[in-house]
Amino acid sequence: MDDYFKKYQKISFYDQVKRNKIQSFFLILVIILIIIALGYVIGYIYNPGMIWFFIIIATVISIIYTLIGLYAGSGIALASVGAKEADSKVYAQLHSIVEGLCLGAGLPKPKVYVMPLDEINAFASGRNPANAVVCVSEGSLKYLTRRELEGVLAHEMSHIANYDIRFMTLAVVMVGIISIIAQIFLRSLWFSSGNNDNKNGIFIIIGIVFAILAPLFAMMVQMAISRKREYMADASAVKLARDNSGLVGALKKIGGYYETKQSKLKSSAVSSLFIAEPSLAARLFSSHPPLKDRIKALESM
Amino acid sequence: MLLWLLILIIVVVILLIVTIYYYNSFVVLHNRIENAFSQIDVQLKKRNDLIPNLVETVKGYAKHEKTVFADVTKARKEMMVSGGSYESKMKASDMMSNALKSIFAIAENYPDLKANTNFLELQRELSDIESKIAYTRQFYNDSILYFNTIVERFPGNIFAGLFGKKKQTYFETSEAERKNVKVSFE
Repeated sequence: MDDYFKKYQKISFYDQVKRNKIQSFFLILVIILIIIALGYVIGYIYNPGMIWFFIIIATVISIIYTLIGLYAGSGIALASVGAKEADSKVYAQLHSIVEGLCLGAGLPKPKVYVMPLDEINAFASGRNPANAVVCVSEGSLKYLTRRELEGVLAHEMSHIANYDIRFMTLAVVMVGIISIIAQIFLRSLWFSSGNNDNKNGIFIIIGIVFAILAPLFAMMVQMAISRKREYMADASAVKLARDNSGLVGALKKIGGYYETKQSKLKSSAVSSLFIAEPSLAARLFSSHPPLKDRIKALESM
Repeated sequence: MLLWLLILIIVVVILLIVTIYYYNSFVVLHNRIENAFSQIDVQLKKRNDLIPNLVETVKGYAKHEKTVFADVTKARKEMMVSGGSYESKMKASDMMSNALKSIFAIAENYPDLKANTNFLELQRELSDIESKIAYTRQFYNDSILYFNTIVERFPGNIFAGLFGKKKQTYFETSEAERKNVKVSFE
Protein backbone atom coordinates (compact mmCIF):
# COMPACT_ATOMS: atom_id res chain seq x y z
CA MET A 1 0.00 0.00 0.00
CA ASP A 2 2.65 2.48 0.97
CA ASP A 3 4.68 1.47 -2.07
CA TYR A 4 1.84 2.65 -4.26
CA PHE A 5 1.81 5.94 -2.36
CA LYS A 6 5.56 6.41 -2.65
CA LYS A 7 5.73 5.47 -6.29
CA TYR A 8 3.14 7.92 -7.44
CA GLN A 9 4.57 10.71 -5.32
CA LYS A 10 7.96 10.25 -6.88
CA ILE A 11 6.92 10.22 -10.49
CA SER A 12 7.69 13.45 -12.21
CA PHE A 13 4.35 14.18 -13.76
CA TYR A 14 2.98 15.51 -10.50
CA ASP A 15 5.82 18.03 -10.42
CA GLN A 16 5.29 18.80 -14.09
CA VAL A 17 1.72 19.83 -13.51
CA LYS A 18 2.59 22.00 -10.51
CA ARG A 19 5.56 23.58 -12.25
CA ASN A 20 3.52 24.42 -15.31
CA LYS A 21 0.76 25.97 -13.22
CA ILE A 22 3.29 28.30 -11.54
CA GLN A 23 4.96 29.19 -14.81
CA SER A 24 1.66 29.89 -16.52
CA PHE A 25 0.81 32.26 -13.71
CA PHE A 26 4.03 34.21 -14.25
CA LEU A 27 3.52 34.33 -17.98
CA ILE A 28 0.11 35.91 -17.49
CA LEU A 29 1.78 38.38 -15.12
CA VAL A 30 4.24 39.32 -17.86
CA ILE A 31 1.37 40.04 -20.22
CA ILE A 32 -0.28 42.26 -17.62
CA LEU A 33 2.98 44.15 -17.18
CA ILE A 34 3.22 44.70 -20.91
CA ILE A 35 -0.28 46.17 -20.86
CA ILE A 36 0.65 48.52 -18.03
CA ALA A 37 3.91 49.55 -19.72
CA LEU A 38 2.13 50.27 -22.97
CA GLY A 39 -0.47 52.33 -21.15
CA TYR A 40 2.25 54.25 -19.34
CA VAL A 41 4.14 55.11 -22.53
CA ILE A 42 0.96 56.24 -24.23
CA GLY A 43 0.02 58.28 -21.19
CA TYR A 44 3.38 59.95 -21.22
CA ILE A 45 2.74 61.15 -24.75
CA TYR A 46 -0.80 62.34 -24.25
CA ASN A 47 -2.20 63.38 -20.91
CA PRO A 48 -2.93 60.57 -18.43
CA GLY A 49 -6.65 60.91 -19.06
CA MET A 50 -6.18 59.30 -22.48
CA ILE A 51 -4.87 56.01 -21.09
CA TRP A 52 -8.13 55.34 -19.35
CA PHE A 53 -10.03 56.03 -22.55
CA PHE A 54 -8.01 53.46 -24.45
CA ILE A 55 -8.15 50.91 -21.69
CA ILE A 56 -11.90 51.18 -21.21
CA ILE A 57 -12.68 50.72 -24.89
CA ALA A 58 -10.23 47.86 -25.17
CA THR A 59 -11.66 46.22 -22.07
CA VAL A 60 -15.25 46.45 -23.28
CA ILE A 61 -14.32 44.94 -26.62
CA SER A 62 -12.34 42.25 -24.85
CA ILE A 63 -15.18 41.34 -22.51
CA ILE A 64 -17.51 40.87 -25.47
CA TYR A 65 -14.80 38.85 -27.21
CA THR A 66 -14.34 36.70 -24.08
CA LEU A 67 -18.02 36.00 -23.69
CA ILE A 68 -18.34 34.96 -27.30
CA GLY A 69 -15.22 32.84 -26.99
CA LEU A 70 -16.35 31.08 -23.84
CA TYR A 71 -19.99 30.51 -24.73
CA ALA A 72 -19.92 30.03 -28.49
CA GLY A 73 -16.33 28.83 -28.79
CA SER A 74 -17.14 25.13 -28.88
CA GLY A 75 -19.82 25.62 -31.50
CA ILE A 76 -17.51 27.67 -33.69
CA ALA A 77 -14.69 25.15 -33.36
CA LEU A 78 -16.91 22.20 -34.21
CA ALA A 79 -18.51 23.95 -37.17
CA SER A 80 -15.15 25.00 -38.57
CA VAL A 81 -14.05 21.38 -38.98
CA GLY A 82 -17.40 19.94 -40.03
CA ALA A 83 -17.74 17.79 -36.95
CA LYS A 84 -20.75 15.58 -36.38
CA GLU A 85 -21.88 14.16 -33.07
CA ALA A 86 -20.71 10.58 -32.69
CA ASP A 87 -23.50 8.04 -32.54
CA SER A 88 -23.08 5.88 -29.45
CA LYS A 89 -23.73 2.64 -31.35
CA VAL A 90 -21.60 3.34 -34.39
CA TYR A 91 -18.71 4.71 -32.34
CA ALA A 92 -19.16 2.42 -29.36
CA GLN A 93 -15.47 1.98 -28.65
CA LEU A 94 -14.84 5.72 -28.77
CA HIS A 95 -17.65 6.37 -26.31
CA SER A 96 -16.45 3.57 -24.08
CA ILE A 97 -12.93 5.01 -23.90
CA VAL A 98 -14.28 8.48 -23.10
CA GLU A 99 -16.55 7.06 -20.39
CA GLY A 100 -13.70 5.15 -18.82
CA LEU A 101 -11.51 8.25 -18.71
CA CYS A 102 -14.34 10.25 -17.15
CA LEU A 103 -14.69 7.64 -14.44
CA GLY A 104 -10.96 7.77 -13.84
CA ALA A 105 -10.88 11.54 -13.64
CA GLY A 106 -14.20 12.13 -11.89
CA LEU A 107 -15.41 14.33 -14.74
CA PRO A 108 -18.85 14.47 -16.32
CA LYS A 109 -18.97 13.01 -19.79
CA PRO A 110 -18.44 15.57 -22.55
CA LYS A 111 -20.27 15.47 -25.88
CA VAL A 112 -18.35 13.36 -28.37
CA TYR A 113 -17.85 14.47 -31.97
CA VAL A 114 -16.07 13.09 -34.99
CA MET A 115 -14.54 15.21 -37.76
CA PRO A 116 -14.41 13.69 -41.24
CA LEU A 117 -10.66 14.04 -41.86
CA ASP A 118 -8.06 11.40 -42.64
CA GLU A 119 -5.29 12.98 -40.59
CA ILE A 120 -4.74 12.05 -36.95
CA ASN A 121 -5.86 14.90 -34.77
CA ALA A 122 -8.25 15.75 -31.95
CA PHE A 123 -9.35 18.66 -29.82
CA ALA A 124 -11.39 19.52 -26.79
CA SER A 125 -13.31 22.69 -26.10
CA GLY A 126 -15.59 24.13 -23.46
CA ARG A 127 -15.50 26.70 -20.72
CA ASN A 128 -15.87 24.12 -17.95
CA PRO A 129 -16.14 20.33 -17.64
CA ALA A 130 -19.93 20.41 -17.55
CA ASN A 131 -20.09 22.14 -20.95
CA ALA A 132 -17.28 20.41 -22.72
CA VAL A 133 -16.95 18.69 -26.09
CA VAL A 134 -14.26 16.39 -27.37
CA CYS A 135 -13.70 15.76 -31.08
CA VAL A 136 -11.49 13.24 -32.89
CA SER A 137 -10.78 12.82 -36.57
CA GLU A 138 -11.79 9.75 -38.56
CA GLY A 139 -8.08 9.26 -39.16
CA SER A 140 -7.47 8.86 -35.43
CA LEU A 141 -10.02 6.08 -35.28
CA LYS A 142 -8.50 4.48 -38.34
CA TYR A 143 -4.78 4.64 -37.59
CA LEU A 144 -4.50 4.47 -33.82
CA THR A 145 -4.67 1.41 -31.58
CA ARG A 146 -7.07 1.45 -28.66
CA ARG A 147 -4.31 2.34 -26.24
CA GLU A 148 -3.07 5.17 -28.45
CA LEU A 149 -6.59 6.52 -28.88
CA GLU A 150 -6.95 6.34 -25.13
CA GLY A 151 -3.74 8.37 -24.73
CA VAL A 152 -4.97 11.04 -27.13
CA LEU A 153 -8.35 11.26 -25.42
CA ALA A 154 -6.69 11.35 -22.01
CA HIS A 155 -4.70 14.37 -23.25
CA GLU A 156 -7.85 16.11 -24.43
CA MET A 157 -9.80 15.29 -21.26
CA SER A 158 -6.87 16.72 -19.29
CA HIS A 159 -7.27 20.02 -21.11
CA ILE A 160 -10.86 20.02 -19.94
CA ALA A 161 -9.97 19.00 -16.38
CA ASN A 162 -7.24 21.63 -16.09
CA TYR A 163 -9.57 24.35 -17.35
CA ASP A 164 -7.06 25.01 -20.12
CA ILE A 165 -9.68 26.18 -22.54
CA ARG A 166 -10.85 28.88 -20.21
CA PHE A 167 -7.25 29.77 -19.38
CA MET A 168 -6.22 30.06 -23.03
CA THR A 169 -9.31 32.10 -23.87
CA LEU A 170 -8.30 34.58 -21.17
CA ALA A 171 -4.75 34.68 -22.50
CA VAL A 172 -6.02 35.34 -26.01
CA VAL A 173 -8.19 38.16 -24.64
CA MET A 174 -5.19 39.76 -22.92
CA VAL A 175 -3.25 39.68 -26.15
CA GLY A 176 -6.30 41.16 -27.81
CA ILE A 177 -6.40 44.06 -25.35
CA ILE A 178 -2.79 44.86 -26.06
CA SER A 179 -3.30 44.69 -29.80
CA ILE A 180 -6.35 46.93 -29.60
CA ILE A 181 -4.63 49.52 -27.41
CA ALA A 182 -1.69 49.53 -29.80
CA GLN A 183 -3.96 49.88 -32.81
CA ILE A 184 -5.97 52.72 -31.31
CA PHE A 185 -2.78 54.49 -30.35
CA LEU A 186 -1.24 54.18 -33.81
CA ARG A 187 -4.42 55.30 -35.48
CA SER A 188 -4.79 58.27 -33.16
CA LEU A 189 -1.30 59.41 -34.10
CA TRP A 190 -2.32 59.40 -37.71
CA PHE A 191 -5.09 61.84 -36.96
CA SER A 192 -3.41 64.08 -34.46
CA SER A 193 -1.89 67.31 -35.66
CA GLY A 194 0.16 69.92 -33.81
CA ASN A 195 1.61 69.05 -30.42
CA ASN A 196 4.89 68.24 -31.99
CA ASP A 197 7.52 69.69 -29.73
CA ASN A 198 10.83 67.89 -29.62
CA LYS A 199 10.34 66.18 -26.32
CA ASN A 200 7.18 64.49 -27.47
CA GLY A 201 8.77 63.58 -30.82
CA ILE A 202 11.15 61.04 -29.34
CA PHE A 203 8.53 59.48 -27.16
CA ILE A 204 6.16 59.20 -30.06
CA ILE A 205 8.77 57.17 -31.89
CA ILE A 206 9.31 55.00 -28.83
CA GLY A 207 5.55 54.68 -28.55
CA ILE A 208 5.23 53.55 -32.15
CA VAL A 209 7.97 50.98 -31.84
CA PHE A 210 6.44 49.76 -28.61
CA ALA A 211 2.96 49.64 -30.11
CA ILE A 212 4.23 47.47 -32.95
CA LEU A 213 6.41 45.24 -30.84
CA ALA A 214 4.10 44.80 -27.86
CA PRO A 215 1.45 42.77 -29.67
CA LEU A 216 4.15 40.58 -31.21
CA PHE A 217 5.74 40.05 -27.84
CA ALA A 218 2.41 39.35 -26.23
CA MET A 219 1.66 36.79 -28.95
CA MET A 220 4.97 35.08 -28.20
CA VAL A 221 4.09 34.97 -24.53
CA GLN A 222 0.65 33.57 -25.32
CA MET A 223 2.20 30.83 -27.44
CA ALA A 224 4.69 30.09 -24.67
CA ILE A 225 1.79 29.65 -22.26
CA SER A 226 0.06 27.41 -24.79
CA ARG A 227 3.16 25.22 -25.07
CA LYS A 228 3.46 24.90 -21.30
CA ARG A 229 -0.14 23.86 -21.12
CA GLU A 230 0.43 21.23 -23.77
CA TYR A 231 3.22 19.68 -21.70
CA MET A 232 0.92 19.81 -18.70
CA ALA A 233 -1.85 18.07 -20.62
CA ASP A 234 0.61 15.38 -21.68
CA ALA A 235 1.64 14.87 -18.05
CA SER A 236 -1.97 14.79 -16.84
CA ALA A 237 -2.84 12.33 -19.58
CA VAL A 238 -0.20 9.92 -18.32
CA LYS A 239 -1.47 10.34 -14.78
CA LEU A 240 -5.00 9.60 -15.96
CA ALA A 241 -4.28 6.62 -18.18
CA ARG A 242 -1.51 5.35 -15.86
CA ASP A 243 0.45 4.64 -18.99
CA ASN A 244 2.63 6.71 -21.31
CA SER A 245 2.93 4.23 -24.19
CA GLY A 246 -0.44 5.15 -25.68
CA LEU A 247 0.22 8.85 -26.06
CA VAL A 248 3.84 8.27 -27.17
CA GLY A 249 2.66 5.88 -29.86
CA ALA A 250 0.01 8.32 -31.04
CA LEU A 251 2.42 11.28 -31.21
CA LYS A 252 4.87 9.19 -33.20
CA LYS A 253 2.14 8.25 -35.65
CA ILE A 254 1.02 11.87 -35.92
CA GLY A 255 4.60 12.96 -36.67
CA GLY A 256 4.88 10.27 -39.29
CA TYR A 257 1.61 11.30 -40.90
CA TYR A 258 2.40 15.00 -41.18
CA GLU A 259 5.79 14.25 -42.67
CA THR A 260 4.23 12.89 -45.80
CA LYS A 261 0.72 14.23 -45.96
CA GLN A 262 -0.72 17.71 -45.97
CA SER A 263 -3.06 18.76 -43.24
CA LYS A 264 -6.51 19.86 -44.26
CA LEU A 265 -6.89 21.77 -41.01
CA LYS A 266 -6.42 25.43 -41.73
CA SER A 267 -4.62 27.17 -38.93
CA SER A 268 -7.61 28.92 -37.49
CA ALA A 269 -8.41 30.20 -34.05
CA VAL A 270 -8.98 26.61 -33.07
CA SER A 271 -5.57 25.36 -34.12
CA SER A 272 -4.21 25.81 -30.62
CA LEU A 273 -6.81 23.40 -29.32
CA PHE A 274 -5.60 20.48 -31.44
CA ILE A 275 -3.39 17.80 -30.02
CA ALA A 276 -0.69 18.57 -32.55
CA GLU A 277 -0.13 21.63 -34.65
CA PRO A 278 -0.55 20.74 -38.29
CA SER A 279 1.25 23.78 -39.69
CA LEU A 280 4.92 24.48 -39.21
CA ALA A 281 4.98 27.83 -37.47
CA ALA A 282 8.30 29.27 -36.36
CA ARG A 283 9.28 27.89 -33.01
CA LEU A 284 8.49 30.97 -30.93
CA PHE A 285 5.08 31.32 -32.48
CA SER A 286 4.03 27.71 -32.40
CA SER A 287 1.23 26.81 -30.04
CA HIS A 288 2.56 23.30 -29.45
CA PRO A 289 6.00 22.09 -28.44
CA PRO A 290 7.81 20.09 -31.11
CA LEU A 291 6.64 16.47 -31.22
CA LYS A 292 10.16 15.18 -30.57
CA ASP A 293 10.41 17.13 -27.31
CA ARG A 294 7.00 15.96 -26.18
CA ILE A 295 7.86 12.34 -26.87
CA LYS A 296 11.14 12.74 -24.99
CA ALA A 297 9.38 14.25 -21.98
CA LEU A 298 6.76 11.51 -21.97
CA GLU A 299 9.29 8.73 -22.22
CA SER A 300 11.05 10.05 -19.15
CA MET A 301 7.96 9.55 -17.01
CA MET B 1 -4.61 50.94 20.50
CA LEU B 2 -7.08 51.07 17.64
CA LEU B 3 -4.43 49.76 15.25
CA TRP B 4 -3.90 46.64 17.34
CA LEU B 5 -7.63 46.03 17.44
CA LEU B 6 -7.80 46.32 13.66
CA ILE B 7 -4.93 43.89 13.20
CA LEU B 8 -6.55 41.46 15.61
CA ILE B 9 -9.86 41.60 13.76
CA ILE B 10 -8.13 41.01 10.42
CA VAL B 11 -6.23 38.03 11.82
CA VAL B 12 -9.38 36.54 13.30
CA VAL B 13 -11.25 36.99 10.01
CA ILE B 14 -8.43 35.32 8.09
CA LEU B 15 -8.36 32.43 10.53
CA LEU B 16 -12.11 32.06 10.20
CA ILE B 17 -11.94 31.97 6.41
CA VAL B 18 -9.15 29.41 6.44
CA THR B 19 -11.02 27.23 8.94
CA ILE B 20 -14.18 27.30 6.86
CA TYR B 21 -12.13 26.52 3.77
CA TYR B 22 -10.59 23.44 5.33
CA TYR B 23 -13.86 22.26 6.86
CA ASN B 24 -15.57 22.49 3.48
CA SER B 25 -12.65 20.87 1.72
CA PHE B 26 -12.85 17.89 4.03
CA VAL B 27 -16.57 17.57 3.35
CA VAL B 28 -16.07 17.73 -0.41
CA LEU B 29 -13.17 15.28 -0.41
CA HIS B 30 -14.92 12.85 1.91
CA ASN B 31 -18.01 12.87 -0.28
CA ARG B 32 -15.86 12.38 -3.32
CA ILE B 33 -14.40 9.23 -1.77
CA GLU B 34 -17.87 7.89 -0.93
CA ASN B 35 -19.13 8.68 -4.42
CA ALA B 36 -16.07 7.05 -5.98
CA PHE B 37 -16.77 3.90 -3.96
CA SER B 38 -20.36 3.76 -5.16
CA GLN B 39 -19.19 4.22 -8.76
CA ILE B 40 -17.17 1.02 -8.38
CA ASP B 41 -20.30 -0.69 -7.11
CA VAL B 42 -22.25 0.45 -10.16
CA GLN B 43 -19.77 -1.24 -12.47
CA LEU B 44 -19.57 -4.37 -10.35
CA LYS B 45 -23.32 -4.73 -10.40
CA LYS B 46 -23.46 -4.23 -14.18
CA ARG B 47 -20.94 -7.02 -14.58
CA ASN B 48 -22.76 -9.32 -12.20
CA ASP B 49 -26.01 -8.85 -14.07
CA LEU B 50 -24.46 -9.97 -17.35
CA ILE B 51 -23.06 -13.20 -15.96
CA PRO B 52 -26.17 -15.46 -16.15
CA ASN B 53 -26.59 -14.56 -19.83
CA LEU B 54 -22.95 -15.31 -20.50
CA VAL B 55 -23.08 -18.66 -18.71
CA GLU B 56 -26.19 -19.74 -20.63
CA THR B 57 -24.70 -18.71 -23.98
CA VAL B 58 -21.42 -20.50 -23.39
CA LYS B 59 -23.15 -23.59 -21.96
CA GLY B 60 -25.01 -23.88 -25.24
CA TYR B 61 -21.72 -24.72 -26.94
CA ALA B 62 -19.42 -26.02 -24.21
CA LYS B 63 -21.61 -27.92 -21.76
CA HIS B 64 -18.93 -30.11 -20.35
CA GLU B 65 -16.44 -27.40 -19.32
CA LYS B 66 -17.64 -27.81 -15.74
CA THR B 67 -14.79 -26.18 -13.78
CA VAL B 68 -15.06 -22.90 -15.60
CA PHE B 69 -18.78 -22.58 -14.89
CA ALA B 70 -18.25 -23.58 -11.28
CA ASP B 71 -15.63 -20.85 -10.89
CA VAL B 72 -17.86 -18.19 -12.35
CA THR B 73 -20.87 -19.22 -10.31
CA LYS B 74 -18.79 -19.28 -7.16
CA ALA B 75 -17.34 -15.85 -8.00
CA ARG B 76 -20.82 -14.47 -8.55
CA LYS B 77 -21.93 -15.74 -5.18
CA GLU B 78 -18.90 -14.14 -3.59
CA MET B 79 -19.77 -10.83 -5.23
CA MET B 80 -23.26 -10.92 -3.83
CA VAL B 81 -22.36 -11.78 -0.28
CA SER B 82 -19.13 -9.84 0.01
CA GLY B 83 -19.19 -7.40 2.88
CA GLY B 84 -19.18 -3.64 2.60
CA SER B 85 -15.45 -3.25 2.98
CA TYR B 86 -13.38 -2.25 0.00
CA GLU B 87 -10.94 -5.06 0.60
CA SER B 88 -13.49 -7.87 0.53
CA LYS B 89 -15.30 -6.39 -2.45
CA MET B 90 -12.06 -6.15 -4.42
CA LYS B 91 -11.09 -9.70 -3.52
CA ALA B 92 -14.41 -10.92 -4.85
CA SER B 93 -14.08 -8.72 -7.92
CA ASP B 94 -10.62 -10.06 -8.73
CA MET B 95 -11.95 -13.59 -8.34
CA MET B 96 -14.65 -12.78 -10.90
CA SER B 97 -12.15 -11.18 -13.30
CA ASN B 98 -10.06 -14.33 -13.22
CA ALA B 99 -13.06 -16.59 -13.73
CA LEU B 100 -14.11 -14.51 -16.73
CA LYS B 101 -10.61 -14.66 -18.16
CA SER B 102 -10.87 -18.46 -17.99
CA ILE B 103 -14.22 -18.52 -19.74
CA PHE B 104 -12.97 -16.36 -22.58
CA ALA B 105 -9.84 -18.48 -22.84
CA ILE B 106 -11.93 -21.63 -23.13
CA ALA B 107 -14.14 -19.99 -25.73
CA GLU B 108 -11.13 -19.86 -28.04
CA ASN B 109 -11.61 -23.58 -28.58
CA TYR B 110 -15.15 -23.28 -29.83
CA PRO B 111 -15.31 -21.46 -33.19
CA ASP B 112 -19.11 -21.72 -33.30
CA LEU B 113 -19.32 -19.96 -29.97
CA LYS B 114 -16.92 -17.27 -31.14
CA ALA B 115 -19.17 -16.58 -34.12
CA ASN B 116 -22.27 -16.24 -31.98
CA THR B 117 -23.35 -12.59 -32.04
CA ASN B 118 -24.79 -12.69 -28.54
CA PHE B 119 -21.50 -14.00 -27.21
CA LEU B 120 -19.52 -11.35 -29.06
CA GLU B 121 -21.74 -8.62 -27.71
CA LEU B 122 -21.35 -9.95 -24.17
CA GLN B 123 -17.62 -10.19 -24.59
CA ARG B 124 -17.43 -6.60 -25.74
CA GLU B 125 -19.61 -5.36 -22.90
CA LEU B 126 -17.75 -7.30 -20.24
CA SER B 127 -14.43 -6.10 -21.58
CA ASP B 128 -15.74 -2.55 -21.43
CA ILE B 129 -16.91 -3.04 -17.83
CA GLU B 130 -13.57 -4.51 -16.73
CA SER B 131 -11.87 -1.42 -18.04
CA LYS B 132 -14.35 0.78 -16.21
CA ILE B 133 -13.89 -1.14 -12.98
CA ALA B 134 -10.17 -0.40 -13.27
CA TYR B 135 -10.86 3.28 -13.80
CA THR B 136 -13.34 3.59 -10.93
CA ARG B 137 -10.86 1.88 -8.62
CA GLN B 138 -8.18 4.27 -9.80
CA PHE B 139 -10.36 7.27 -9.06
CA TYR B 140 -11.26 5.88 -5.66
CA ASN B 141 -7.62 5.46 -4.76
CA ASP B 142 -6.69 8.86 -6.16
CA SER B 143 -9.43 10.44 -4.05
CA ILE B 144 -8.10 8.76 -0.93
CA LEU B 145 -4.54 9.72 -1.80
CA TYR B 146 -5.53 13.34 -2.23
CA PHE B 147 -7.51 13.34 1.02
CA ASN B 148 -4.65 11.74 2.94
CA THR B 149 -2.17 14.23 1.55
CA ILE B 150 -4.18 17.15 2.90
CA VAL B 151 -4.81 15.48 6.22
CA GLU B 152 -1.13 14.73 6.71
CA ARG B 153 0.40 17.95 5.48
CA PHE B 154 0.60 21.26 7.30
CA PRO B 155 -1.67 23.14 7.95
CA GLY B 156 -4.32 20.60 7.01
CA ASN B 157 -3.20 18.30 9.78
CA ILE B 158 -4.17 20.82 12.41
CA PHE B 159 -7.68 21.16 11.07
CA ALA B 160 -7.93 17.44 10.55
CA GLY B 161 -7.23 16.94 14.20
CA LEU B 162 -9.80 19.58 15.07
CA PHE B 163 -12.53 18.02 13.00
CA GLY B 164 -11.56 14.47 13.77
CA LYS B 165 -10.65 13.52 10.20
CA LYS B 166 -8.40 10.55 9.90
CA LYS B 167 -6.24 9.20 7.16
CA GLN B 168 -7.97 6.48 5.20
CA THR B 169 -6.36 3.27 4.12
CA TYR B 170 -6.51 1.78 0.72
CA PHE B 171 -5.62 -1.45 -0.89
CA GLU B 172 -4.10 -1.71 -4.29
CA THR B 173 -3.34 -4.48 -6.73
CA SER B 174 -0.01 -4.54 -8.48
CA GLU B 175 0.60 -2.09 -11.27
CA ALA B 176 1.02 -4.75 -13.94
CA GLU B 177 -2.29 -6.41 -13.17
CA ARG B 178 -4.06 -3.13 -13.46
CA LYS B 179 -2.55 -2.16 -16.80
CA ASN B 180 -3.58 -5.49 -18.24
CA VAL B 181 -7.12 -5.27 -17.07
CA LYS B 182 -7.68 -2.06 -18.95
CA VAL B 183 -7.20 -3.75 -22.32
CA SER B 184 -8.52 -7.09 -21.22
CA PHE B 185 -10.07 -9.74 -23.41
CA GLU B 186 -8.91 -8.11 -26.64
